[in-house]
Amino acid sequence: MKTAKYIRTLALYALMLGAALPGKAQLFPKTYMNADWQVGMPVDQSFADKTSGWGMNFEGGYFITPTITVGAFISYQTFLEEIPRQTLQLSNSTVMTTNQKHALFQLPFGVAARYNWCKKSIFQPYVGMKLGASYAEMSSYYYIVRQYAETWGVYLSPEVGVSIFPNPDYRFGLHVALYYGYASNSGDLLVYSIDNCQNFGIRVGISF
Amino acid sequence: MIVKILRYTALALIAIASCSCQKEPSTSDLHEDYLVYTAHDTGTDFQQIETYYMPDSILVIGNSDRTEYWKDDDAREILAVVADNMASGGYTRLDDKDAANVGLQLSYVRRVTYFVGYDNPCWWWYYPYYWTPGYWGDWAGWHYPYSVYYGYTAGSLLLEMVDLEADRQSGKKLPVIWDSFIGGLLTSDEALNLERTLDAVEQAFVQSPYLTTK
Repeated sequence: MKTAKYIRTLALYALMLGAALPGKAQLFPKTYMNADWQVGMPVDQSFADKTSGWGMNFEGGYFITPTITVGAFISYQTFLEEIPRQTLQLSNSTVMTTNQKHALFQLPFGVAARYNWCKKSIFQPYVGMKLGASYAEMSSYYYIVRQYAETWGVYLSPEVGVSIFPNPDYRFGLHVALYYGYASNSGDLLVYSIDNCQNFGIRVGISF
Repeated sequence: MIVKILRYTALALIAIASCSCQKEPSTSDLHEDYLVYTAHDTGTDFQQIETYYMPDSILVIGNSDRTEYWKDDDAREILAVVADNMASGGYTRLDDKDAANVGLQLSYVRRVTYFVGYDNPCWWWYYPYYWTPGYWGDWAGWHYPYSVYYGYTAGSLLLEMVDLEADRQSGKKLPVIWDSFIGGLLTSDEALNLERTLDAVEQAFVQSPYLTTK
């Protein structure tokens, strides 16, 4: 988790530096950056399976050709669910009855590639693919206790989106994307298990 | 101008993101319900137990320097629920603890917070006003035949069954063969506290179906 935090912090500082510099369309030529709020909808998830808006995505890349970019991303999302009182058989000798709150925190990061169209227009669509590692933390909150399990997996996420630049020569605008994310994380907590994490989502943010 | 607004939006987004990476749920409403945790020794045959002894009061674990016992009508009601469930299981309550197969002790945590782990059971020895092992006879300490991890906070009730016929030669450790930890019993409404406590005690027996002679 500490490593993931360092990676996230470095990525955030880099983005903040880029955003804070005044008067330049791009900090580095032939690059792009996105900072998005994201809403995720879990698919076939057995733990904390409610739609969540507690997520962000950060991505940056370099145009290796006029249409293809390669870069890096990091995103995170917390899914939450309230569990009413239920009786859990924890082992052959222990049983617990309690209400709970479940949280599934996902933090994928890795490389991102895009194919872009219409680079001179206001609306610049693209298709992309993200590939990397996924850290996920299953948490159950009950009584005064937080019990959690940490998991790691492989992350794969196709994406389609559009950057909207009011002035295409000055690359600063909005960003909207739809994505599907698959992570191979599996883990167990109390009597609950996850086998993988899949979700559909939408990202809305800024692009520069 | 638009670019300036977008830059400030970017900064705001990033600032929010860096502060709120992992969302933690609000846990305040978790206390609107009780928790009942039970554990037992799988090596004990509870069907072989016939009699038990239970004191007529509940020990209070608080900050007092003196031993406190809870004996009022509320305490008697809680003890009665325990006795009813033991009777339903076919167990006979005795007035003579020396003659009983097992002992049942109830403790209510009123003020203090302790964490108890089987790996570090020292406070059982040093906390002076708990049901001491000596209360049950010539015992030198406690022993759990299973893993136990509790967080004790104010408003918790502990029910424990001790095996009074255990082998005293092996360190004279009194085995706790069944225990139930009940938490979340303290609200500002005393009537609700009692109702919740009685429900939780019932639940402790519901989820311990092996407590029967049948």
